[in-house]
Amino acid sequence: MPAHLGHEEFFTSLTTLLNNTSQRTRGSVYLTQKPLLNTTTESASQPSILIRATDGNTNAPNPRTAEAKKKVSKSGSAASKVKISTVVSPDDLEAFYARYAEVCKAGMTGLKKRDRKKGKAKGKKEGGKVIKG
Amino acid sequence: MPYLPTSQSYLEQSSLLLQAYPDTRITTKYTFPRTSTSTKPSSSTTQSQQPTSTEETEPKPRIAVLELKTYHPGSGICLKYRTNKGAEVGRLITSLGKLAAGADVEGLGLGNNPTTAAGGGAAGDVEMGDAPTAAATAEGQTVAGEGGNTGAAGKGGKGKKKGGKGKR
Repeated sequence: MPAHLGHEEFFTSLTTLLNNTSQRTRGSVYLTQKPLLNTTTESASQPSILIRATDGNTNAPNPRTAEAKKKVSKSGSAASKVKISTVVSPDDLEAFYARYAEVCKAGMTGLKKRDRKKGKAKGKKEGGKVIKG
Repeated sequence: MPYLPTSQSYLEQSSLLLQAYPDTRITTKYTFPRTSTSTKPSSSTTQSQQPTSTEETEPKPRIAVLELKTYHPGSGICLKYRTNKGAEVGRLITSLGKLAAGADVEGLGLGNNPTTAAGGGAAGDVEMGDAPTAAATAEGQTVAGEGGNTGAAGKGGKGKKKGGKGKR
């Protein structure tokens, strides 16, 4: 397993991973977070958080489709699986997640866009509030 | 593996689970769902002299799905929430950060007077007895249902107001 990346490298890799998936409109990206619980040192009040991102090898060519007939790709596809990870100390959590949210928002372009109707209604609502106040 | 109806109830239940079991992990899956079993095996191999007929470009762009899963391996408890709205991403990830920092239900800052009260109620239940997570989930769902009702009522009211304006 590769070593943990620094935050900068992690975000760069995550951005490309999300963009690739969004552009291809197929495949998945899995993001996992879990605390690193040290059984030896229980003094720390808050554990560091381990963050992993992987594409679960879903960007490998689909073996069923005719395009992916090249048998060479078998070894290549296994190697192409993306696995990145980073560790966030409790002090950095807030800054990291602010950035994390930005990266995800920017990268997950395959989701539904906010509809216009909603925005309009919201604007009206706000206007009403202002008048009341 | 229940899907929770709202992101709010998902986050609340997840924070309770994290408090009970700190080694709970949260997975966010961003995925494009598989296309329904495509029955076009041989047509694509017959090379495209008429590309328009073979490549029927899908009328709608494929919409991705974002699925959040909170899972505790020891107990097997699993909470899920799924959405396809891009507008929710930022808020969800930020909330996950708060969960990672060990925030409790109130620390999530989800606001809304009735829902915070409901969150408090759910927390009380769990404190009384650790076992009935199912009961807590059920309560969360009913509460969410109520919230939905009130929301609908509010919308109705606005609709009436709008109507009034139109008549004048």
